[in-house]
Amino acid sequence: MTARQRAARWGRRLAALTWKEVLQLSRDLPLLLFLLYSFSLSVLVSGAGITMQLHNAELFVHDADHSRSSRELIHRFQPPYFTLKGEIADARQGLRELDEGRAMMLLDIPPRFHEALMGGEGTAVQVLVDTTNAPQGLSAAGYTVRIAGAFGTDMGLASVGLSGTKATVPVVESAHRVWFNPNQDETWYQSISHVLRMITLFGVLLPASALVREKERGTVEQLLVSPVTPFQIMWSKVLAMSAVILIVTGLAVYGVLRPVFHVPMKGSALLYFLLTALHTFTTAGLGLVAATLARNQAQVGMMALFFVGPMLLLSGITAPFESMPRWVQTIMTLSPLRYYIDITYGVMLKGAGMDVLWKSVGAMVLLGGGLFAFGMWRFRRQFE
Amino acid sequence: MNVRVIKAVAFKEWKETTRDRLFLLLAFLLPVLWLVVFGYGLNLDVEEIPFAVVDRDHSALSRDYLYRFMQSRYFSFRGYAEDERALDRLLTETKIRAAIVVPQRFEEQLAAGQPVTVQTLLDGTFPLHTDIAKGYVIAINQVFTEERLIDFLRQTRGLTEEQASRLVRPLKVEVRYLYNEEVRSTWSMVPALVMFTLMLASPLLTALGVVREKETGSIYNIYSSTVSRAEFLAGKLLPYIAISIVNICVLWVLAVGLFHVPFKGSFVFFFLASVVFILCTTGIGLLISLLVQTQMAALIITMVVAMIPTILFSGLLVPVSSLTRGAKVQAHLYPAMYYTTIVRGSFLKGVGAGVLWIDLLALVVFATAMGGITYHLFTKRPKT
Repeated sequence: MTARQRAARWGRRLAALTWKEVLQLSRDLPLLLFLLYSFSLSVLVSGAGITMQLHNAELFVHDADHSRSSRELIHRFQPPYFTLKGEIADARQGLRELDEGRAMMLLDIPPRFHEALMGGEGTAVQVLVDTTNAPQGLSAAGYTVRIAGAFGTDMGLASVGLSGTKATVPVVESAHRVWFNPNQDETWYQSISHVLRMITLFGVLLPASALVREKERGTVEQLLVSPVTPFQIMWSKVLAMSAVILIVTGLAVYGVLRPVFHVPMKGSALLYFLLTALHTFTTAGLGLVAATLARNQAQVGMMALFFVGPMLLLSGITAPFESMPRWVQTIMTLSPLRYYIDITYGVMLKGAGMDVLWKSVGAMVLLGGGLFAFGMWRFRRQFE
Repeated sequence: MNVRVIKAVAFKEWKETTRDRLFLLLAFLLPVLWLVVFGYGLNLDVEEIPFAVVDRDHSALSRDYLYRFMQSRYFSFRGYAEDERALDRLLTETKIRAAIVVPQRFEEQLAAGQPVTVQTLLDGTFPLHTDIAKGYVIAINQVFTEERLIDFLRQTRGLTEEQASRLVRPLKVEVRYLYNEEVRSTWSMVPALVMFTLMLASPLLTALGVVREKETGSIYNIYSSTVSRAEFLAGKLLPYIAISIVNICVLWVLAVGLFHVPFKGSFVFFFLASVVFILCTTGIGLLISLLVQTQMAALIITMVVAMIPTILFSGLLVPVSSLTRGAKVQAHLYPAMYYTTIVRGSFLKGVGAGVLWIDLLALVVFATAMGGITYHLFTKRPKT
C-alpha cells in the first residue's frame, strides 16, 4: 500500500468518525433546538435589552428653596442618564424610597439656595446615592458633580456679567471623537459579546461532553480496539463540533448581528471565520483536557464550570481588562477568549487584518497546540 | 408520601454522590474558589485607561495640563505620538483606548482669555468604558478650567484668590454614598456572587443526577418499583439541597469573614430566603432533566440557562432598571433577580422581611410552580 493510499484511508476514517458525531448531535433534538435558540433569539434579546451606560437612574428631588436657580439646576438632570421621578416633601421619605429600591439618587437642595448663590457666599447641595451597585452609583455621582459644577460656574460668571459659553473667558472645552463605534451604539457591543460568550461555552462543552460520553458508556474501548488512532478519535469530535459552531456563528452574524443591529464587518469576513475556527479548536482543547481528567458527565460539567465562569467574567468582555489586578491578567493569558475578544472586535469594528492581529493569533495557536498536546498525552496514557 | 421511602431514595442518591470523590470535592470547592477569585479579581471600576498624547503646543501650560492625566489613577500614559495618523494606528492595535490632542497656541489663547478646544479620541468598542472615560476627561477639564478662570478673574477684576474661587465654585456637592459607604466594588460584588455561585452549581447537580438514571436505564428500576413520583423527586433532590445549604453557610462565612462585607440584616430571614432560592434553582435543573434525554444536552442546556441570564439579567452587573422592556420581562421571570435584591438588601441595606417580603413571595411562587410543573411532567409510564 502506497503512502497516498494510506493517507486516503486515514482521512476516510476520520471523516467517518466525524460524520458519526454530527449524526449523533443531530438526533438530540432538545439540544439542537437550544443551540439554535442560543445563537439567534437569545442574541437578539440580550443585544437589544441591555444598556450598561448610566440609563434612567431614578432621581428624587427635595427642593427646599423653590426658586429660579433650584428649578434651573433640577432641569439640568436629563434623560437618558436620569429620570426625574418627582419631588418629595421631606428628606426622610427620600431615604425610604432609596431603602425600598424605588430610587437610585436623592438630590437635596437647601433653603436660601438662590440667595446664597447670587450673593456670592456659596452654598452646597446634598446628594444621596445608592451604591449597592458600585460602578453605577459612582457614575451617577460623577454626572451629578459635573452637572452641579458647570451650573455653579455658569451662575457665578453670570453674576459678574460674564458667560461661561462665550469667547470672552479662558475655558477648556472638550471635543470628543469616538472611533469604531461613533454613536456609542451599545447594541453592537452587547450582541457581539453575547455571541462571544455562546461560542466559548459551546466550544468547551460540546467536545468535552462528547468525549466523556464515550468514556462513561465504555464505547471508547470499542473505538480503541478498532483500527483508528486516539488522535482520530479526538479530532473527529473537535472537527464535528467546530463545524457545528461555525455554522451557528454564521447564523448569528448574518441572521442577527448584520441585519438587525447593523454591526459592521469592516475587516475580512473570511479572516473572521478562520479565526473563529481557531478559537473553537482552542476551546475544544480545553474541553478535551477536562474530559481526560473526568470520568463522567457530572465531573466534566463541574470542571468546565470551574474555568468557564472565570473565563467569561475576567477575559475582558464584562469588565475592562486593563483595570484587572496583575495576577488576573497573568492567569488570563491562558484564556483563549482573551485573544478572541481582540480578534472579533478588531476585525468587525476596527477593520484589523493579520498585520495587527498576529500577536493574538500566535498566542492562540500556541495555547491551542499546548492544550491538544497535553490532552492527547493524557488520553493515550489512560488506556495503556 | 412515605418518609421511609424518601429516605431510602435520598440515601441511595447520597451514596452515589459521595462515592464520586472528584465530583464531591468540586461541589464544595467550586463555590469557595469562585467567590475568592471573583471577589479579589473582578474589578468593575474603569481604571488605568491606556492613552497617548499629541502635544502641538509644547508649552509649560500644556505640560501642566497633560500632567493631570498622567498622574491620575484613571489613566495610564503610554507615550507621545507624532500626529493623528500614529494615534489611528495605536487605537486600531488596541495599544491605547484614548488619545488627547492639545492644539497649537493652547497657552497663548488661554492667557489671552479665550476658550480653547482640546480634542479627545476614544475607542468606542466598549461603550460603557468609553462613556466613563469621557466623564474622566470632562472632570479633569472642568477642574483645569476653574483654575484658569480663577487666575483670569484675579487679573482682570482685581479680586483676591478667595473671592475669585468663590465666584467660580459657588456650589459644592456633598455626596453621600449609601449602603456601601466607601464604594467598594467587593462590597457590592461579593453578595451578588453568593447568588451567582448558588445559581450555577445546584441546577447542574440536580439535572445530571436525574438524566444519568435516564441515560443508563437505571430509572426503570424506579418505574417498576412502588416508589411514587413525589417520593422519587423529593428523595432525589434532598442530597443536592443539603449540599447547597452547606454552601450557603460557607459562602456567608467567607463574605463576612474574609471580605468583611457588613451583614446588616437578619440571618434567619436570609437563610430562609436562600433555601427557597435553592428550591427554585434545583427546580430549574429538575425541569431541564425531564425535558431532555441525554446527559450532554442536560449539561449544556443547564449551563447556558443558569449562566447567561444570571450574568445579564440578575442585577449582578447591570441594574434591572436600565434594561429595556423585553429584557426586563425576562429578568422578572427568572428567580435570580429577586434573590439578588434579597442578598444585597440583607448584607448592605439591613432591610428585612418588611421590605423584601415581595421578593421572597416571588421566589416561593416560582418554587411552587417549578414543583407543580415537574410533578406533572415526570411520569412513571414513559412513551417510547
